[in-house]
Amino acid sequence: MKIKSLLLSFLIFLSCLTTTVQAATQSQAKEAILTAHNLWDKTKTAGHEWNTIKPLMAQATQALQENDYITAIALAKKASTQSKLALVQAEREKTNWLNNLPK
Amino acid sequence: MKNLLNILVIFTSLGCINIANATPEQDKETFQRFYMERFPDVSKEDFGNGVYALDQDARDQWESMSDFPPYEDDLEAGEELFNNPFKNGKNYANCFKNGGENIRQNYPKFDTERNSVITLELAINECRMKNGESALPYQKGDIAKISAYMASTSEGSLIEIKVPNDNALIAYEEGKQYFYSKRGQLNFSCANCHIQNVGRKARSETLSPALGHPTHFPVYRMAWQNFGTLHRRFASCNKQVRAQPLAGQSEDYRNLEYFLTYMSNGLPINGPASRK
Ligand code: HEC
Repeated sequence: MKIKSLLLSFLIFLSCLTTTVQAATQSQAKEAILTAHNLWDKTKTAGHEWNTIKPLMAQATQALQENDYITAIALAKKASTQSKLALVQAEREKTNWLNNLPK
Repeated sequence: MKNLLNILVIFTSLGCINIANATPEQDKETFQRFYMERFPDVSKEDFGNGVYALDQDARDQWESMSDFPPYEDDLEAGEELFNNPFKNGKNYANCFKNGGENIRQNYPKFDTERNSVITLELAINECRMKNGESALPYQKGDIAKISAYMASTSEGSLIEIKVPNDNALIAYEEGKQYFYSKRGQLNFSCANCHIQNVGRKARSETLSPALGHPTHFPVYRMAWQNFGTLHRRFASCNKQVRAQPLAGQSEDYRNLEYFLTYMSNGLPINGPASRK
C-alpha cells in the first residue's frame, strides 16, 4: 500500500515535471517568435527588410502551432539573427551609400 | 594637435556634404559621363537599349524579332483601353495634357501641391478614380498596356524630368540614396550591379547600364510573357539580392524612379520594348 502510493505520487510528480518542461518550452517559443517579430518590424521601418525573414517567421509560427517548440525556437532565432544583420546593414548604409557614387 | 584634428574633421565632413549636396544636374553629368567613358563606342541614345547596347550577339537575336515584336497584341489592347470611354463618358485623354499623347518623357513629375512624385501609372489610376472607375493593380495587366501605348506616342521625345523645389529635391535625394544603398541578404545596391559591374555577367545575364533604364518601359519580358512596369522590374531586382520588394507605387519606388529617370534626362523614349 505504502509502495503503491509512493509510486503514484512519483508518477504524479513526473507528469507535473513534463508539463512544466513543456509549458516552459512553449512560452520560450512564443517569446522567441515575439522577439523575432519585433526585430523584423524594425527592419521594415528601417527600409531594409530581407525577403528571407518572412518565410522563416511563417515556418516558426507553423512549428509553434504544431507544438514543435524546439524547431520554432531555432527558426525564430535564425530570423532574429538575420533581422539584426539587416539592421546593421541599414545603419551602415546611412552613410556608406555615399561611397558607391560614380566618380 | 587638437586644432589640426578639428580642422581635419571639418574638412572631411565638408567633403561629405559636398558629395551629398551635388545638384541633380551635377549628378546627371557625372552619371552619364561614367557610362560614356566606360563605353566610348556606344552612342548616348543607344544606352536606352539596355544590354543590347553592350552585347552584340544578344542584340542580333533581339533585332531579328523586331519585325514582329512579342508585345504587339498587348500594345494594341493598350490603345483600345486608352481610347475606351469610362462609364461617365470621359476618357484618359481628358486627364492629361495634350490628350495624353507624347507626354511620357515628362514622367515622373513632382507635384508641388501634394509634395509627392507622380508616376505615369499613378496618374493613370488617379484619372480612373477621378472618373468613378476602380484603380487597376500596378505592376502588370491593363495598367502596363495603357502605359505602353502612352509611351509609344512619345517615341523619340527626350526625357525631361524636373526638380522644381526643395521638397522635390528631398524626394530626389531619397531616390538617390535608395539606388546607392546596399540591401538584401546579398548586400548589393542597384549601383553595385548596374554601375560598378555594368557589362559583366551575373549568372548568364549581362548587366545593363542604369543610364537608359527608364526610357523603354513598360517592358515585355519573355520571362513574364507580358508587360511589366518599371516597378515590377525594381521588385525583381530587389528579390535577386534577397531584399523584400516593395509594393508598386510605394513612395520609395516612386522616388527611386524619379532619381533614375532624372539620370536619363536627354535620352529619347523608345518604349515599349522587349527583353529576355
Ligand atoms: C545582383 C545584381 C542586380 C542588382 C543588385 C540590381 N539589378 Fe537590376 N538587373 C539585374 C539583371 C541581371 C537584369 C537583367 C539584365 C539587364 O537588363 O541588366 C536587371 C535589369 C534591370 C532593369 C531592366 C533593364 C532593361 O533594359 O529593361 C532595371 C530597370 C533594373 N535592373 C533596375 C535596378 C534597380 C533600380 C536596382 C536596385 C533596386 C537593381 N536593378 C538592382 C541585376 C541586378
